[in-house]
Amino acid sequence: MTSFLNAIISGLISGSLYAATALGLTIIYGVSRVFNFGHGVVAVMGAYLAWTILSAGGQLNMLLGILVSLVVLYIFGTLVYRFTINPLMKKPAWDISTVLFLLGGGILLENVLLQIFGPRVKSIPLLVEGNLKLGPVAIQLNDLFLIVIVLVGIVALNLFFKYTRLGQAMQSIAQSIPGAKVVGIDIERIFGLTFGLAFAVTGFSGVLLSTKYFLNPHIGWEWMVKGFVIVSFGGLGSTNGAIFAGLILGIVEAMVTLYIGAIWVWPIWFVIFMVVLLIRPQGILGGRL
Amino acid sequence: MKSIKKLSWKNILAMLVGLFVMVYPLAGANSYMKHLFILFFIWSVVAASWNLLNGYAGINSLGNIGFMAIGGYASGILAKSLGLSPWISIPIGGIITCVLVTLFLGFPALRLSGIYIALLSLIFADSLPSILTQTREITGGAMGLHEIPGFIPHMEKIHAYYICFVFFLIAMFIIFRTIHSNTGLAFMALRDSENFATTLGVNRFRERLKVFAISSFLTGLAGGFYVHSLGDISPTTLGIEPFLLGIAMFELGGIGTFAGPILGAAVIVFGGEFLRLAGTLRLSLLGLLICLIILFFPGGIMQLISQAETFIRNRIKKRKPVEKVQPT
Repeated sequence: MTSFLNAIISGLISGSLYAATALGLTIIYGVSRVFNFGHGVVAVMGAYLAWTILSAGGQLNMLLGILVSLVVLYIFGTLVYRFTINPLMKKPAWDISTVLFLLGGGILLENVLLQIFGPRVKSIPLLVEGNLKLGPVAIQLNDLFLIVIVLVGIVALNLFFKYTRLGQAMQSIAQSIPGAKVVGIDIERIFGLTFGLAFAVTGFSGVLLSTKYFLNPHIGWEWMVKGFVIVSFGGLGSTNGAIFAGLILGIVEAMVTLYIGAIWVWPIWFVIFMVVLLIRPQGILGGRL
Repeated sequence: MKSIKKLSWKNILAMLVGLFVMVYPLAGANSYMKHLFILFFIWSVVAASWNLLNGYAGINSLGNIGFMAIGGYASGILAKSLGLSPWISIPIGGIITCVLVTLFLGFPALRLSGIYIALLSLIFADSLPSILTQTREITGGAMGLHEIPGFIPHMEKIHAYYICFVFFLIAMFIIFRTIHSNTGLAFMALRDSENFATTLGVNRFRERLKVFAISSFLTGLAGGFYVHSLGDISPTTLGIEPFLLGIAMFELGGIGTFAGPILGAAVIVFGGEFLRLAGTLRLSLLGLLICLIILFFPGGIMQLISQAETFIRNRIKKRKPVEKVQPT
């Protein structure tokens, strides 16, 4: 019973983290219909940036590290859009060429990170120390804190999309590009901002994930593939779907690890993915943003 | 067919190269060059059937390395554990690949569009290594299969060379005929405008299944020839490097062209040996190569060739270009 409860709790924690990784994917796809196959490496980049600031030493560096990685990745995202994705999107068959481009670019960056930081596993210290005892189960305060951050982040994103002019502009592009043009929205500018926002969110999720797990240049692939399954399960382009899907899949993963064995996690993710695609390709909360 | 007569110098060149390839091992190629040629034959079949899916049918498959591994493992296990002759086990491996892929990717892909197929096929190929390590008694786990029997008893490199060459020719012939058949026209029409094609009576369901079946069968066969000529296979075949190599081949050669993947495979296989000098930077260079091609040369080598050809032709005739030759 205790192990069951523990599995549920660890599933909830990892699920909310997976949901956080999926957010960046779903934001970009929802607005621009480009699917970011370099997603994993962006998350890893964010984590490495935070780690670099952190390992420089000093007080309050965690916050500073996260801020720096947010800002740097925001700029990086807008630059990536401006100089590569924007020209690619003007060509025919842009969907496949952006996919392959982002894949190639992701692998390039991953190996650059490998050259800089080496293959050794790095870890980011916990954000909060301490344990919380609830009867037979003990929860790390850090894990609770992570869940809270993810939930707050999702609420904040939702508010952003609903109430700010920029968020509304993104939403209107997601609904109809010609319509957005008619009302005078600068599509390319909003796409650039979207890429920046999504990259920053992704980098932040990378920091969160690497406090819970570990960090090396290759771990991004695993996060990314899990993100793929979550966004398709939750509905591509739906931020709220991502959190439900993340939690469900996190619990499923914990159950599979507990009762069948960790090695079966991947095949089962594949089966879930296929069943979702066959039964409900638009996901549980289909729609865009 | 018309285009062939028009570009006859290319056919002459192709035939000369073919003749060269045919007599090269007899004229004293060393064992290493034979090995490279075998890799080239197999890889160009893989790249060409990948291109059939991605370039001609417009289905964004990212799992073709997985198809190759399935074919290779199936044939290797049948030949090694059950003692079947490779001539029987390779076709069976191809059929197994075809059935599995059609079942797990082909049918779902009928309902899905664009990006979902890319995701599904990537995850399909990604979940194979964990299945392989889990079924250690049969597949050899992380160690892989070793000492898989060759095509004939006491096989030497030269035998494998010619066998793979013949396979390469047959596979290319099949792909060529497919592209220029009604099926090929049908799935190209589906790629270009799905609504228009279905209005004209193209059966979307059937054509998509067909192209998946052809591509996966050929890739599975290529996997079979791969294991029997090289003698071993392990989960590293499913790693990130072969995956990138495959993509780089058809992108470099020219996506959606017949000769593109072959040229790309030649450049990558023979030039890839120089990549070894780069050591750990190898993967970064491959990634960079793919990015640069997509950004600056979306048509790959084939585009360069056709541009050079129009340029020279205009120089000879001394007149303005009548039409710009666009690679399709």
